[in-house]
Amino acid sequence: MTEDSLTTTLAALADPTRRAILARLASGEASVTELAGPFDMSMPAISKHLKVLERARLITRAREAQWRPCTLNAAPLKEVAQWVEYYRQFWEQRLDRLGDYLNDLQRREKSNVKHNTRPKRAKRT
Amino acid sequence: MSSTTPGRSAQNERELVLTRVFAAPRPLVFQCWTDSEHMKNWFGPRMFTNPTCQLDVRTGGTWRIVMRGPDGTEHVATGVYQEVIPNERLVFTNIAEDSNGARLLEGITTVTFEDHGAGTKLTLRTRMTGLVPAAPAMLDGMEAGWSQSLDRLTEELEAV
Repeated sequence: MTEDSLTTTLAALADPTRRAILARLASGEASVTELAGPFDMSMPAISKHLKVLERARLITRAREAQWRPCTLNAAPLKEVAQWVEYYRQFWEQRLDRLGDYLNDLQRREKSNVKHNTRPKRAKRT
Repeated sequence: MSSTTPGRSAQNERELVLTRVFAAPRPLVFQCWTDSEHMKNWFGPRMFTNPTCQLDVRTGGTWRIVMRGPDGTEHVATGVYQEVIPNERLVFTNIAEDSNGARLLEGITTVTFEDHGAGTKLTLRTRMTGLVPAAPAMLDGMEAGWSQSLDRLTEELEAV
């Protein structure tokens, strides 16, 4: 899972209407009109939410059928549920980098001591 | 050296635990977490830079890091320090925001620093709060519908 796909999924989930739409789709496909039913919302507003969900791959919409039913795709949700794995990678990578940085820092401070009594803080761009 | 433990019972309370030993003295390792001139050099994925790194390291103080990816995309990470014990322990919340400031990931991280021979043993625990623990619950609720969709997909594939 890439950092970006998780971000897209989370951004799509960060809205209660979109979560309600997903919950509705959990019981089977539905048309846009059916999805709009329980909400006090205009069709364009619902369409906008559906576009966000579609972009996040949380739903798919039939291309052929006239009424273009929406179907739930739960795979990205599973990725969110696996956040422990995501966070493990996130922190492992940072700690690897910290280890390298500490080695660099100490190497540079050692060579600084040869010229100066007070080592300067190492800077890296 | 690193290790991961799977965490506790309830799915929503899972916790990530990582340990590392660094060949550096404890005050220096601690400084890397609390001095922005150091932190900006290692925080974030490889190839990322940190154009903004503000750390107000005291209980109740906030931290904010803007990470810039190789493609120029910026990611904001921020949070509040809950506990600061010099050279021993740091507890802070961590929040990832999207470009509109919406909170995507929320968690609480505890970092402890211990002597380990001439080096330092670091232990990092992260527990997620907010939206993410809701996802497994949503999945459970959707399990029925989801397997229905999979059944349908299977049927469709068989029909092809």
